Amino acid sequence: MKSIFFHLMPYPELPPDFPEEHRSVWVDIDPALYDPEVGNRTYNEYLDELEFAAGCGFDAVGVNEHHSNGYGLMPSPNIIAAALSRNCPETNIIVLGDSVALYNPPLRVAEEIAMLDGITGGRMVAGFPVGSPMDTIFAYGQNPATLRERYHEGVDLIRQAWTRDEVFSYNGKYNKLRYVNVWPRPVQQPHPPIWIPGGGSVDTWDWCAQQDLVYCYLSYFGYKAGLKTMQGFWKKVQETGKEANPFQGGFAQFIAVADTEKEAWDLYREPAEYFFNTCLHVYAGFADPPGYKTPNTVRAGVEGMVERAAREATARSEARKPAGGGGFPKGLSFEEMVEKGYVILGDPTQVAEQVHELATTMHIGHLMTFCHFGNMHKDLVRYNTEMYATKVMPEVSGIFEDEFEDLWWPQPLEQPARRDVPEVPVS
Amino acid sequence: MTGYATETLPFREGHVGLVSCGEGAPITYLHGMLGNPGEHAFLKALANSGWRVVAPSLPGFTGSSETNGLRNLHDWVVAASELIDVAGVTGTPIVASSVGAMVALELAAIRPEAFDAMVLIAPYGLWDPEDPVADPFATTLTNQRRMLTADPAASASFFDDVEDMPADLLVEHGVDRYLTRTASAQLIWPIPEFGISDRIHLVKNSVTLVHGAMDQIIPPSYLDKWAQILPNVVSTHLVEQAGHHAEFDQPEEVAAIVKSALS
Repeated sequence: MKSIFFHLMPYPELPPDFPEEHRSVWVDIDPALYDPEVGNRTYNEYLDELEFAAGCGFDAVGVNEHHSNGYGLMPSPNIIAAALSRNCPETNIIVLGDSVALYNPPLRVAEEIAMLDGITGGRMVAGFPVGSPMDTIFAYGQNPATLRERYHEGVDLIRQAWTRDEVFSYNGKYNKLRYVNVWPRPVQQPHPPIWIPGGGSVDTWDWCAQQDLVYCYLSYFGYKAGLKTMQGFWKKVQETGKEANPFQGGFAQFIAVADTEKEAWDLYREPAEYFFNTCLHVYAGFADPPGYKTPNTVRAGVEGMVERAAREATARSEARKPAGGGGFPKGLSFEEMVEKGYVILGDPTQVAEQVHELATTMHIGHLMTFCHFGNMHKDLVRYNTEMYATKVMPEVSGIFEDEFEDLWWPQPLEQPARRDVPEVPVS
Repeated sequence: MTGYATETLPFREGHVGLVSCGEGAPITYLHGMLGNPGEHAFLKALANSGWRVVAPSLPGFTGSSETNGLRNLHDWVVAASELIDVAGVTGTPIVASSVGAMVALELAAIRPEAFDAMVLIAPYGLWDPEDPVADPFATTLTNQRRMLTADPAASASFFDDVEDMPADLLVEHGVDRYLTRTASAQLIWPIPEFGISDRIHLVKNSVTLVHGAMDQIIPPSYLDKWAQILPNVVSTHLVEQAGHHAEFDQPEEVAAIVKSALS
C-alpha cells in the first residue's frame, strides 16, 4: 500500500467564535478574516511540511483544489505542485486534482500537468475531480445542470490532447477548438496516471470502473463511514468483469500517532477540534444545488461528503442555539472523532493495526494521510509525519504489494536520464 | 368547467407533458420554478373565467423529459418555440410565470406571432446590482420553499409527497422534483440576466405585469423596472400576501387580473 502525505492547507487562525459568528467557512467566508502575513507564513510552513514528508520517505505528496475556502488555501494546486517539483526529487506528486470544468479551455490542465511531468521527469499523478458544489457552482459560477457534462467533455479533451499524435480539431458541446496541440507533451506515456477524487456519486463509480481510473474517496469522516462508498465502487468494478485491484482505489484518513496513546490524545485534540468544529463549518445551503447530483445518485439516496459536512455543521449550529436563555456551544468531541474513526489515533502499533484494517476492509492500495490537520503547529506536524513514516509505514507498506500490481503509479524516467533538481544549489 | 386532461406529446428525442382544462377561447399557462402544477386552483380559476387552459411543461420540468442540447438561453428559446407549436398553442394569449415568463419574453422578442397578449408574473431577466435578485438555490430545500410562495402550504403540490404513494413511486416523485429544480437552475444560473434589455424593444405584445408584494426572490421593485422598459405595458399589479409565485398564493386574485387584462 502506498502512503501519500496529503495537505489541505487550512487557514490556521480562524477566530474561536467563528462557528457562532459566521455563516460558512466556504463560499462567503469573510475576506476580512484573512491576514496576508499569516498567509505568507502559512504557505511557506505548509510547503516545508510537504517537503519534509517527502524527505521522510512518503511514497508521494498530495495537493488539491478549493476556492473561497477557509480550510483549503489552494485555489491552484498546480502552483503548489510546481513549488514542490524541484525540492522533493525522490517523491511523486499527486495533484488531486484540477477541477476540469473550471478551466476554459480545459487544455490548460493538459498543458500544466504536462509541464509538471516534464519538470519532475514523470513523477506526476493527474487528478480530475468534478469538484465540490461550493467550488464549482457557487465560487466559480458553473451551471449545476451542465457541470458534469462539461467535466466529462473536458477530461475527454485532455486525454485526447495527451495521446493523439497529430494536431486535431475538437468540436465538443462546450469546447470548440480548431487546433488542439499540447506542447509540451507529458513525460509519462501515454499520459500520467489519472485518479478521480469522488464524493459519493454512483455514476462516478461506474465511470471509473469502466474507464480503468483510480477512484479516490476523499472523505473527512474516516474509514468506518467510508466503507459503504468504497464497497459501492468495488461492486461496479466487479460488474464490469474486471479484477478488483486495490490500487484502483484510494481513501483519505486523518492520522494522529505518538509514542503512546495517552500522548496522542493530549497532542492532537486541539487541531482535530479546530478542523472538525471550525473548518467544517459549512453552510448547508451550499451543499446540494439542484443538478449537481446525477438522477441515479438522487435515486440511490447517496449523501455526498461535503453535504454530510454541511449537514453536521448545521446540526452543531442548531445545538448551539440557546434554549430558554441557556445552552452552550457544542461541537463534536475529540473522543467522538476517534470513536467514529474520523481520526486514527494511537501509538505506532495501534495506528498500524487500524490502517491495516482500513486498507483490507476497504480494499484500497492508496492511502491519503492527513498528518497535518486543522491548526496543528509545525513542530507537531513534523512529529506526526516522522512517526508515521518511520514507525507505521514499514508495517503497512507491504499490504497488497505482492498480490497486485499498481498500474496507476507514476513511471518516471530512470536516472541518470532524469533531471529534476537544481543544478546549482542556492547558497 | 370540464375536467383536467393530461397528454404526453412526442418532442425531439423525448416527450413533453401537457395539462388542459376548461372550455372556451384558448389561453396558455407557462409555468415557473414550481413546474406545471397539474390540477391546481389557478388553472381552475382561469378555466372558470371561460377559457380553455393549456399548460405545457418546458423540457426537464415535471411531465416533460430532459432534452439534450440545452446549453444556453438561445437553446431554451428555440425549444420553447418548438414546444408551443407541438402543443398547438401558438398565437394564443399567455400567462407566464417566473422562469417561464423570462423564456416567453425572449421568444416574443424574436417571434412576434408566438403569443397574443401576455400576462407576466414576476419574470426573471433583469438584474439591479443595488437591489439584486436573490439566489434561490444557495439555501436548503425548506428555505427555498419559503422563498417561492408567501405561504409554504401554497406550494404543496410541488414539495409535498402524495400520501399513500408506494415507496418506489415516492422515490421517482422526488427525482422528478429534483429534475424540475435542476431545470430552473439551468435557466437562471448564476446571474439571471442575459441581455433582454437590449432586445426588449422587439416585444410588441401588450403586456400585463403581476408581482407578489412578498416576493423574496425578485424584489417587487422590479415591477416598475419592467414597466419602464417594455414598450406596451397595459397595467401593473402588485398582489398583496403573495410571494414569487403569486398565482399559487392568490390564484383567484391573479386569475381575476388575467381576466380583466384580456377582456
